[in-house]
Amino acid sequence: MTTVKDLPREDYFLSGHTACPGCGGAMVVREVMKVLGPNTVVYMPASCLLIFSDMYPYNAFKVPSLQILFETSAIAAAGVKRALKRLGKDDTTVVAFAGDGGTADIGMQALSGAAERNEDILYVCYDNEAYMNTGIQRSGTTPFGAWTTTTPLGSTSEGQGKNEFKKDVPRILMAHDVPYVATASLGFPADFLKKVDKAKAKKGFRYLHVLAPCPVGWRAESDSTVDLAKLAVETGIFTLLEYEDGVLTLNREPRFTPVREYLKLQGRFKHLSEGQIASIERWVKDKWERDRALAKALGPKPKVPVAIVR
Amino acid sequence: MIEMKPAVKLPTTGERRMVTGDYAAAWGAMVSRPQVVAAYPITPQTMIIEHLAEFLAAGKFDAEMMRVESEHSAMSAVIAAEATGVRAYTATSSQGLALMHEPLFVSPPMHLPIVMSVVNRTVASPLGIWVEHNDTMPQRDTGWMQIYVEDGQEALDMVLQGYKVAEQPLVELPMMIGMDAFLVSHTIESVDLISQEDADAFLPPYKPVHAYLDPQRPMVVGAAAPPEYIQEVRWETDLRMRRAAEFLEETDREFGRKFGRTYGGMIETYRLEDADVALMTLGTVTSTAREVVDRLRAQGERVGLIKLRSFRPFPAERLQDATAHLKAFGVYDRAVSYGVGGPSYIEARNALYDTTTMPILSFLAGLGGRDVTPQDVELMFKKTLAAAGRGRRASGVHWIGTRGVSP
Amino acid sequence: MAAQALAVAASHDGYSAIAFPFFGAERRGAPVLAFTRFGEERLRVRTQVYEPHFVVVLDESLVETVDVLAGLRPGGMVIVNTTRAPDRLVLSKKAKSATVDATTIALKHTKQAAVNTAMLGAFAKATGLITLEGVEAGIMEVFGRRLSKEIADRNVAAARAAYEATRLGEGDSGRVYAKATKWLPTAQELPPGLATPPMETPFGRVGVGSSPSNLTGGWRVNKPVLDGAECTNCLLCWFYCPDGSITRGEKIVEIHYEYCKGCGICAAVCAPKAIHMEREIEEEVKA
Repeated sequence: MTTVKDLPREDYFLSGHTACPGCGGAMVVREVMKVLGPNTVVYMPASCLLIFSDMYPYNAFKVPSLQILFETSAIAAAGVKRALKRLGKDDTTVVAFAGDGGTADIGMQALSGAAERNEDILYVCYDNEAYMNTGIQRSGTTPFGAWTTTTPLGSTSEGQGKNEFKKDVPRILMAHDVPYVATASLGFPADFLKKVDKAKAKKGFRYLHVLAPCPVGWRAESDSTVDLAKLAVETGIFTLLEYEDGVLTLNREPRFTPVREYLKLQGRFKHLSEGQIASIERWVKDKWERDRALAKALGPKPKVPVAIVR
Repeated sequence: MIEMKPAVKLPTTGERRMVTGDYAAAWGAMVSRPQVVAAYPITPQTMIIEHLAEFLAAGKFDAEMMRVESEHSAMSAVIAAEATGVRAYTATSSQGLALMHEPLFVSPPMHLPIVMSVVNRTVASPLGIWVEHNDTMPQRDTGWMQIYVEDGQEALDMVLQGYKVAEQPLVELPMMIGMDAFLVSHTIESVDLISQEDADAFLPPYKPVHAYLDPQRPMVVGAAAPPEYIQEVRWETDLRMRRAAEFLEETDREFGRKFGRTYGGMIETYRLEDADVALMTLGTVTSTAREVVDRLRAQGERVGLIKLRSFRPFPAERLQDATAHLKAFGVYDRAVSYGVGGPSYIEARNALYDTTTMPILSFLAGLGGRDVTPQDVELMFKKTLAAAGRGRRASGVHWIGTRGVSP
Repeated sequence: MAAQALAVAASHDGYSAIAFPFFGAERRGAPVLAFTRFGEERLRVRTQVYEPHFVVVLDESLVETVDVLAGLRPGGMVIVNTTRAPDRLVLSKKAKSATVDATTIALKHTKQAAVNTAMLGAFAKATGLITLEGVEAGIMEVFGRRLSKEIADRNVAAARAAYEATRLGEGDSGRVYAKATKWLPTAQELPPGLATPPMETPFGRVGVGSSPSNLTGGWRVNKPVLDGAECTNCLLCWFYCPDGSITRGEKIVEIHYEYCKGCGICAAVCAPKAIHMEREIEEEVKA
């Protein structure tokens, strides 16, 4: 079930949710839920997703869902899973859908703890690269140079967009040596679905980081979501990778389309200077050198069996 | 030559052993059969989770034990577990409870009856590890029931009683059980370790009524809500807190019938019937105060004692009845609401406003874990006696045993 | 933001003014509520406005389900973004009305269907209480500060154009609305802790899987249209539609409009160009 054509007709994330037109996050959740199916419990932190799918009395999921707090996605999902195990429902998938702020910033402690304990959950970060729910404030995964409402434009060095580069959350998760870490982009459906399939099938902590363009926050057209997701990969800005049982694979060698092609579609980058664009180009180059070296170092190798008893 | 007689035999249903309060609490948790335990270590709560881990390792106890990375996660994990439909337990103290402050608000409106032992300890600053109630008292408005115990036995018994009250379908509120740092947690004393069989007979397995996560019977648990719905949720949570009072009383009586020990429900009174003045205490100071009452009684002073066990729900009616005949009332607190006085003093004054015009005095002592001696307690009684009959103007806040400050 | 801009405009023109949004879960294109009060004396009431003198309707499709004139004061006026003439409005009661095709104006001047600034121009014209200069000041203050001068300028142009194009008249009565439209159970009826299974109410389903009760098709400005002859059934539109508005058929896909917000992604991902977007005019809005 790794192609679009094989996906079930049935939706478990339903119409009538109130996401903005063209929302990448809503697409991610809809597709992941198609693959996970009915035997699933969903956790949502405070996020765009919560507001557009779980504003009382309406709810967009066909399966049970839980919401408690913002920074608790990984731990709440883990708590649910442990309880389900006690109730004899170990076969139920527990998935947490969290945004980048809830993952890379405020949720990092609980995420790291759950990963280290190898809690049996699937954690999906839909990365729209800022705190979109609260109105486009910068997060740890906001890219360098991007305008946000807390990195506004002005004449000083504090007015050039975000001054730091994107936090590499998947690499942090790799450092926890969990069974599965993968990145995915809406622009590459086959790759994306294959990874959801794998993540569903595995036991233990699984982390999926999906780039989910936000037309509103990125100041882009509402029909550009998929194009942006594709270009992010083809420019080399967003790397498709998979870290599975200790082996790192780079899934797609990009065309290295000039980053300008990607940046120009987004109002959040409209102000970038030539120097800033050059910095992004250099960052892409360095990142690929590093990731290739990592993939080489973490390539296939003879397996040492490790017993995990729970 | 000092002559001694053997101690009075205490009611025992299980195995009586010399154990710490932390051990007793852990035992209470074990025989309550929680299916998920999540905790993070903090002095002086550590022994509770260490003992639970030992019980687990030895095969005496069977639960999912989550050794999480923070108290915030410990509380969030037990909330999620309860929301899924199982019984859950955690324990913490001081800074840990402060870190839990955010998730504490979550479970009461959601009908999730968690039980948590809290070893009462100073909250920084200054950093201190000794007893103070300024960790639990500020959690007053989170919707948790709050009980304060006096010794290890009560710390154990209240875990069992706690689940029984908390899981009542008409209550479904979480409960925190406060036990004084070191004075209970690390103090070795004789405790009746209730057998699993007796515990099972008292506390049936948890069956969630209103909230659970089950793909066969799907339910939304936890939602964002607009103003059209939240006020009704607040009202309903308030109603359950009010209802909890009668279940606290009834459960204590039922416990007494089975185990031969009762604690008086929300308050316990000591030599109060013919007293002119009384002191209200909570936690371990109560034990010392009983001795002081006896001593003063021997000197002809008509003094009595009220032990405040339940801070939430607050026993307003019982307090009104118990104090109706008094001429003055002193309230001891091991925490201060800066600029006002002791938290339970504030509560008591509020509760008694309609029924009395006697002076009500606030006594602050033992803050930061300073010992509260019989002399300190005697001074509280003397000040209350002196205020008797002088009307509300004789009320006031008294810092007992503070260098440079006249009490 | 338009409510704020109106308050700034009123303030510019010498009135005391106050504005606030009803803080909800605003998403781009979703129906929202905002209030502005202005007057000659200091305003103290900080509640929602229940008995307005003027109602400004930014999206005509709302009048299908919402009695926008409920609470309108005698002699009050409704100002609607529509292609209709003011005399052709049919609402719950007779009322003075003003209309303007703000969507076309906004698309022309701002390249977006954000009609709020154009409607400020219409408000100025229809009421005569606020000057066009005040409106410009309001837009520059509110939008210029948050976005950019260029965007603010475009919005000012839209407001001016709308000011010129606004027509006045009187709308008719005759439209009938359901008395209540929302499930408002008592505290005793509400599911404990809001833990809610799928539940049927007189106002539709709530709880698990209930979002289809919420028809989001009214958000749409442009709608996707399928040319079945060109469809290769590649299913990309079905895969990507964030609103689940496309279903798989035997040979080709089918587009449904109850929930379609008109984002245009289906058209963008359609390789054979079998889907195109077209501007939807009011008569075609499905309730």
